[in-house]
Amino acid sequence: MTLPDQSALSRRDYIRALVAVGGASALSACLDAVGSDDGPDVPSGTDNPASLPDRQHAWNDALARDDDGNVQLPDHHVLVALSLETEVDDEARETTEQALRTLERAYEWGHEGLVFTIGYTPAYFDRFEASPAEVDLPEPEPLADDETPEYDEFDALLHLASDHPSVVLEAEAGLFGERDRVNGLEVETDLTGVFDRLDDRRRTGFIGEGLPAEHTDVSGVPDAVPEDAPFFMGFRAGFTDSQATEDRVTIEDGPFAGGTTQHISSMAINLTQWFDQENHYQRVSKLFSPEHADEELTGSVGEALGASSGLTTDRIEATEVDAREGGVVGHAQKAARAREDGQPLLLRRDFNTVDGDQPGLHFLALQRGIDHFVRVREAMNGDDLDVATANNGILHYLFVDRRGNYLIPPRPLRALPSADPTS
Amino acid sequence: MQETNAINRRTFVSYTAATAGVLALAGCADTDGTDTDDTDTDDTAEDDLETMPEFLEVEDPPDAVYVPTHREAMRMLEPVEAGDMMVAPMLSYPHPFWIVAGTGADSLERTDPEDDRGVHMMFTVWDRETGVVLPVDDGAQIQVERDGESVGSPVSPWTMISQEMGFHFGDNVSLPEDGTYTVEVTLPPLSTRTTGDLEGRLEESATATFEFTYDDEFRHEVVGGVEYFDEDIWGERGALEPMDHGEHGHGDDGHDHGDHDDHGDHEEGHNHDHEDHDDHADHDGHDDEHDHDDGHDHGDHDEHDHHAVPYSALPEIDAYPGTILVDPEEGDVPDVTEDLPESGDARFLATVLESDHRLAEAEAYLLVSPRTPYNRVPLADMSMTATVERDGEVLEESALEQTIDGTYDLHYGASVPELEAGDTVTIETETPPQVARHQGYETAFLEMPLLELQVPEQ
Repeated sequence: MTLPDQSALSRRDYIRALVAVGGASALSACLDAVGSDDGPDVPSGTDNPASLPDRQHAWNDALARDDDGNVQLPDHHVLVALSLETEVDDEARETTEQALRTLERAYEWGHEGLVFTIGYTPAYFDRFEASPAEVDLPEPEPLADDETPEYDEFDALLHLASDHPSVVLEAEAGLFGERDRVNGLEVETDLTGVFDRLDDRRRTGFIGEGLPAEHTDVSGVPDAVPEDAPFFMGFRAGFTDSQATEDRVTIEDGPFAGGTTQHISSMAINLTQWFDQENHYQRVSKLFSPEHADEELTGSVGEALGASSGLTTDRIEATEVDAREGGVVGHAQKAARAREDGQPLLLRRDFNTVDGDQPGLHFLALQRGIDHFVRVREAMNGDDLDVATANNGILHYLFVDRRGNYLIPPRPLRALPSADPTS
Repeated sequence: MQETNAINRRTFVSYTAATAGVLALAGCADTDGTDTDDTDTDDTAEDDLETMPEFLEVEDPPDAVYVPTHREAMRMLEPVEAGDMMVAPMLSYPHPFWIVAGTGADSLERTDPEDDRGVHMMFTVWDRETGVVLPVDDGAQIQVERDGESVGSPVSPWTMISQEMGFHFGDNVSLPEDGTYTVEVTLPPLSTRTTGDLEGRLEESATATFEFTYDDEFRHEVVGGVEYFDEDIWGERGALEPMDHGEHGHGDDGHDHGDHDDHGDHEEGHNHDHEDHDDHADHDGHDDEHDHDDGHDHGDHDEHDHHAVPYSALPEIDAYPGTILVDPEEGDVPDVTEDLPESGDARFLATVLESDHRLAEAEAYLLVSPRTPYNRVPLADMSMTATVERDGEVLEESALEQTIDGTYDLHYGASVPELEAGDTVTIETETPPQVARHQGYETAFLEMPLLELQVPEQ
């Protein structure tokens, strides 16, 4: 891959573009750009990887929180698509496990180091002629009338996340034989020979206050993206009270107890309409609820909401009436109708992207079973609501082009699990 | 002289009076409220002509359909097939329009083009079998491409109404440079309730692709083709006639725009000299394509290749069966849409179909068809509730469901008990039409008070 032209981009965009390109030369260019041959000072990981939580998705305790107590995801993300190159056997499992442990030894589990998961698709489990035992993991399918997505039909996916762009690049390079050392630690085992990377399925992104506004030189990202917005759509997300807990999304029974399922939908977002054509009142109505807009509950980027999305039972239950009598419903209020006993079903770890040089979102959600995701998406579709599509939350602005379902096994089973590891 | 030059550059029809006839106004009920204040015409940067003409505004327009400042020029492309539907693309220059989201004071937003290089991209969609224009927002999408590469993000175009184009999908689309662009249109399955010849149809997603070239010739045609009207009539109540009168009717004669000549005869106490509007002799021939002869010699349109594009006009009153509900004060069914009962300047055709009609089930069927007053453009994505009363007692309160019928096109319907003469039906508009508007429609159909109708004496 060719490296981006440094002279044509802002520093942040250049680094973002390097993460998007990936590989050893992008890594060294990234280290140059951050101004140090050795890169940033990154804390090392643990000598005893077995001491890490059994749940691969147990990130929250290791992540920072904002002043309101909302969990903050790392700034930089890479999704590495993997195709299995070998038979699944003990040797391949051992290689995989040792390669992943190398990352855990090299990097502290957290923002300054690295957090990651590896997940497996239904296509991976096809070789066992069985679905993973006691896990709801169907093949991906379209979840709305107006979409014709492609599907993640490769075998596995690594999700790498860090506040340091050079760390996600280096970790990936180390796993695929492009780097002898990761954070100073020698790479003895990598994934070469077990997995091939699918470069054209590699996805990248970012999250965090101000990052979206750094990308206004990308076509389709208007100057109107607020300076302090953490997401492209201009508002905070991931409010504590609208996120499922890690417990809530963890598989409780069967051989994969301690694991979770992951759905990733990748989509383009039309920000031109969102920012240049609509007003703040309309954006708040469509993203949260008309009452959020009427009562000015959000502040300019959602900061006034604190740790709560402000979705009271009343506001959730008002969805149908808001549609019929107000002509608009909010995305958040509508999706919250899928809550179970008042509890959200999804733990969102989504992030924005400019992959393909246009603004988008990789919507990564964890849930106990994919059926929970489908339930939320159906609530979001709002086919039952008497409202114009353009005013039906944010559907008008989103264009899903890819979906994938994954099992994130518990850490002890993360290396090439069979469909029923207990048998 | 500066001003005169500016006018000529923009093919002002004329800056003197007595040329109103060229407008071919479709109805013109009122001359009050015309604002002739100081809208400057001479502060235009000359280079605007290249890509985007000046957008002149009417100061303080009425809360009603009004005559805009200009007639937009556009290029019509050859209609393309999309499954069982046809898509007719139309391209104009980028210009402001108004989007509607909700009911409150902040629910209307004027949106200006982000970029003067580009087009206002529009398309009308209709069912090939019935010719019915599909006037609802079920989530159409477009992606503009050039040399196989996406240009900008995908877009869900807005549903819009315009006096010239009627109901259409559209948005301003920025184009980075001159060249040939490909547009892919995706139409999702129709999720709106359908009846009659449309029932059970259009349930598949469909796509269509068209191409266009953005270049000097295009700009010459559409930017140079803008027709500014005499300031005296800006903001008058009335509307431009549809730019294209498709022969593609709904099986009724509702497309006979000669009807509009009659507006002067519908006395509403306005002292308006309608003769002006019939007088085309003053038309100074800037552009014969715009010679909207009130007699509507459709032969004219054969010169263009787009005579088969239907305009989204709903049928005229006499095309509807059943008992047409009337204004209790008037008592009679009018002849033309303009004289129907109104709310928010929308006209309401409401009829009760007896239980033997195909649209009725066990009970009678209340069909409510709100439309623009002059061009009968359907008003989509409203929500309304009808309350039926007899002798002061409520018989039924029904939410009306948006429906597209193979004969009557867009309407809102509900089952109601069999009604008797003297029963009243009150229409409460909870949500006004959630469709974007071109100039001349943005102040109408927003505040829509209760409308009381009555079953007339037979």
